[in-house]
Amino acid sequence: MITSYELRVTSYELSVPSIVNPPALPALPFVKLTNREAEGSLSKGQSSIAMHSSQPQPTLLLRGITKRFGSTQALDGVGLAMYPGEIHALLGENGAGKSTLIKIITGVHQPDTGEILLDSRPIRIGSTLEAQAHGIAAIYQEPMMYPDLNVAENIFITHAGRGPLVNWRRVYREAESILDQLDVQLDVRQPARGLTVAAQQTVEIARAISLRVRVLIMDEPTAALSAHEVEQLFSLARRLREQGVAILFISHRMEEVFSIADRVTVFRDGRLISSAPRAEVTPEGAIRDMAGRTVEQLFPRSNTVQEETLVQVRELSKAGVFADVHFEVRKGEVLGFAGLVGARRTDVGLALFGVEPADSGEILLDGVARHVRSPNQAMALGIAYVSEDRRALGLSLPMAISANITLPTLRRYLSALGLVRGQAEAAEAEHYRQRLAIRAPSVAVEVGKLSGGNQQKVMLSKWLNTKPRLLILDEPTRGIDVGAKAEVHQMIDDLAAQGMAIILISSDLPEVLAMSDRVLVMREGRQVGLFSRAEATQERILAAAMGQAGGETVA
Amino acid sequence: MGFSLRRLLSWEGLLLLILLLVVAVNALLSPVYLGLNNQVNLFQLSIEKIIVALVMTFIIINGEIDLSVASVMGLAACVLAYLFERGVPMEQAVVAALAVGALCGAFNGFWVAYIGLPSLAVTLAGLIGYRGVARILLEDRSITGFPEWFNRLGQQPILGPLPLAVVLFFGLYMIALVVLNFSGVGRLVYVVGNNREVARYSGVRVPRLKMGLFIASGFIAALAGVLLAARLGAVRGNTADGFELDIITMVLLGGVSIFGGTGNLFGVGLAILIILNMRNGMALLNVTGNVQTGVVGLLLIFSVLIPNLVQDGQTLLQRRRARRKEVELKVKAGD
Repeated sequence: MITSYELRVTSYELSVPSIVNPPALPALPFVKLTNREAEGSLSKGQSSIAMHSSQPQPTLLLRGITKRFGSTQALDGVGLAMYPGEIHALLGENGAGKSTLIKIITGVHQPDTGEILLDSRPIRIGSTLEAQAHGIAAIYQEPMMYPDLNVAENIFITHAGRGPLVNWRRVYREAESILDQLDVQLDVRQPARGLTVAAQQTVEIARAISLRVRVLIMDEPTAALSAHEVEQLFSLARRLREQGVAILFISHRMEEVFSIADRVTVFRDGRLISSAPRAEVTPEGAIRDMAGRTVEQLFPRSNTVQEETLVQVRELSKAGVFADVHFEVRKGEVLGFAGLVGARRTDVGLALFGVEPADSGEILLDGVARHVRSPNQAMALGIAYVSEDRRALGLSLPMAISANITLPTLRRYLSALGLVRGQAEAAEAEHYRQRLAIRAPSVAVEVGKLSGGNQQKVMLSKWLNTKPRLLILDEPTRGIDVGAKAEVHQMIDDLAAQGMAIILISSDLPEVLAMSDRVLVMREGRQVGLFSRAEATQERILAAAMGQAGGETVA
Repeated sequence: MGFSLRRLLSWEGLLLLILLLVVAVNALLSPVYLGLNNQVNLFQLSIEKIIVALVMTFIIINGEIDLSVASVMGLAACVLAYLFERGVPMEQAVVAALAVGALCGAFNGFWVAYIGLPSLAVTLAGLIGYRGVARILLEDRSITGFPEWFNRLGQQPILGPLPLAVVLFFGLYMIALVVLNFSGVGRLVYVVGNNREVARYSGVRVPRLKMGLFIASGFIAALAGVLLAARLGAVRGNTADGFELDIITMVLLGGVSIFGGTGNLFGVGLAILIILNMRNGMALLNVTGNVQTGVVGLLLIFSVLIPNLVQDGQTLLQRRRARRKEVELKVKAGD
C-alpha cells in the first residue's frame, strides 16, 4: 500500500531529492524537528521581545498564543509585542500564521491557549465589536465599504450616536475634522461607490480614528495601490505613529516593509522565528528566516521528463489579471507554479482550461496553436483542471461518487435514448475507487460524506477519467491529511511516468520543490522566475515571489 | 423498524399519509367521491395546471423559476382564438399557438441563460408582458364557436373513461419521471441546480441546458393553454389568470426546494393528488372556492414549516440525549 510508504521516508530539511542532481544534504538531514526543539526556537523569539524592555510598555502584548484548526497547528506558542508609536512589520510565507494571528487580535478567532494584554491588563477579545471597543481596528487589501452610503456615514457606521435619531450635522462636522486632521481632501457627502481603493482605505482609517484606535492592523493594504497611493498611505501611517498608535503592518513587498517598519518579525509554520529592530535586519536575512520550512515527508520523484514538448504558452495575458506568461511543459514533466497568495497562479490555470480565457497570447499543443475559450474545448484538447476549491467548484456534494466521477464525460455513459447506463457508470467509478484507494463502502455514497482526502481523490478520478494529456492541479493537497497527501504525491509521480504533462500549482513550497522538475514563480500577475530543479531552493523562490530578485534562469 | 420509520418520516412518506387521510375523510363524508365519474372529473378540472407542474419541477430543481407559465397559457389560447377568428384553419392555429409558447420560453431563456439575469425578474416581466399581449389580441371579447372536433378534444373520453388531456398527463408524467431520474439531461438538471459553478467547471453547457428547459416550459404551457381552450370551449384575455401560483404550490409541496438541487417527481405526484383530492372533497361538501384556496395556502405554509420543525426537534433530542449522558457521567464520577 501507498500509505506504508511514508514510514520509510526520512524527513529532510531544505533538501530536494533528485536523480539528476544528487541533493547536497544538510548537516543533520535525519533529525526531525521535534516539538521540544520547536519550543526552543520559540523561547529565542520571546527573549528578543524581552530585549525590548528599554522602551515604554507595549500597548498590546500577546503571550504564548496557540491555535489549532483540525490537524493543522496554525499558531504554536507565539508572542508579539506592539508598542505605541511603532510600526511593526509581520512577514511570513503563505500559511505561516499571519492571518490567524490577525483574526485572533481582531476577535474573529479565539486562541486555544495564551493571553492577550492591553496596557498590561489581560483582556478577552470575543468578537470584532469587542476588539473595536478596545481600540483595535484593521484595514485590509479590500476595504469594507457600504457603497450606497456616503463617506461620513461609512466612517460612523457603527457609532453615529445613541438613540433613534442621528445628529447629522455633528456626523458631517466630525467626519470633516478627522479627514482634515489626516490632511485628506475628500467630500464627506460623496457616496463610497466610485471611490478608489486608496480613498476607501482612507475612509477606513478615518473610521478607525473616530473609534479612538490604539492598535491598527494593516493587512496587505498596498496590494491594489499605485506607487503614489502607497506613499500617501504610508504618510498616513506615519502620522498615526506620531500620535502613538501601535501599527501592525503586513505586506509581501520587501521594499515597503523596509521603508516603513520600525521592527520586523518573521513567522514560519505558526511560530515566531525572529523579531528585531529594522536596522538589524536585512531583506536577505528575513527571507532566510521565512524559508527553511521543515518538511515531514518528501516524495522522491523519479525522472520522467521526456524529450517531446507538449504545451507551449507564449505571451499569455489577461488585462488586469496577469501578463506575459510564457513557459512550456514536456511530456512526463511536472512544472511547479509557486508564488504567494494573489500571485494569480490560479488565473493562469483557469485561462489554460478556458473557464476564464486569456485576452491575448498563444497556447500551443504539439506545436499547433489552439483556441481554448471554454472548458469543453479544453477537455477536447486533453486539458484537465482540478480546482483548488473542492466544495464550491470541484464536486457536487449531495451526489454520488459515481455521478461526480462521470460528470465531465457523461456522454460516454449514455444509451442511444439518452439514459444513463448505470452499470457502465458504476463499473468505471468502481475502477477508480480501487485504483486511487478511495475509502468509501460503495460508489453510490454521497461525496459530501467523505473526508477531505477522499473527496480529493474523487476529484482526481473525475479528471483522470477525461484521459487528459495536460493535467493542471491547483492546490491538490490543501486541507487533506498526511496519508492522503502522500498518496496524491505518488499519483502525480505515476501519472508523469505515464507521459502526462502536469502543472502543479501549490502554496506548499516544500511540496513544489519536491514534486516539480522545474518551478515557475509568479508575483502579482507577472512571471518572475523559472528555476530548474537543481537551482530551485526555498530562498530563491521566496526572494522571487517577494520581488527581491528575479531568476529567468532556464528556458 | 428503524428503516421503515425513517421512510415514513421522509417527505414522500408524509405526503402519502396526508393523501390517505384526505381520501379516507372524503370517502366517509361523500358517497359519490369514490365513483369513477368523480375521480376522472377531479383530474380533468385541473389537468392543465398539473401538466405544467411537471415541467415546473424541472425548472425549480434546476434552481430557476418560471412565473410566466400562466400568461403563456393565456397567450397561446388567445393566439389560437385570434387566428381562428380571422379564419385561419384550426390545425394551423394550434401549431401557431404552440410555436408562440416556445418562443416566449426562448425569450425568457435567453435573458436567464445567456445574459445571466435572475429568472424571478425575467419571468415576472414575462408574466405581465405576455398577459398584456393576450389582452391586446382579444381586448374584452370572449371567443367561442370552435370546430366540433376541437371541443370534443377537451371533453370526450378517448381511452376508456379518460379524455385526451388526462391521458396526455399520465404519458408526460411517465416520460418526465424517466428523464429526470434516469437520463443524462435529468442528471445535469440536478447538478446545475445544486451548484452551477461545479457544472461549469466540469464542462457542462449550463446556458444551453437552461435555455432548453425554458423553451420546454413555454411549449408545455402553450400546450396546456390549447387544452384549456378546448375544454372550456371559450377563450378570453384573462384565460388561465393566476394559475402560476397553484402550479408552483404543487411543486413546492412536493418537496422540491425553492433553492434548487433537491426534490423529485414522486413527491410532486403525491402533492398533486393531495391538492386535487382536497379541492374535490371540499367542492363535494359545498365549500366555496375561496375557502378551498385558503386551505391549500395553509397546506403550503405547513409544507415549509414541517421540515424545519422536524429538524429542530431532532437537534433538540440530540442535545437532550447528550446532556443526559453528561449527567450520567458526572454521577458515575461522583460515585
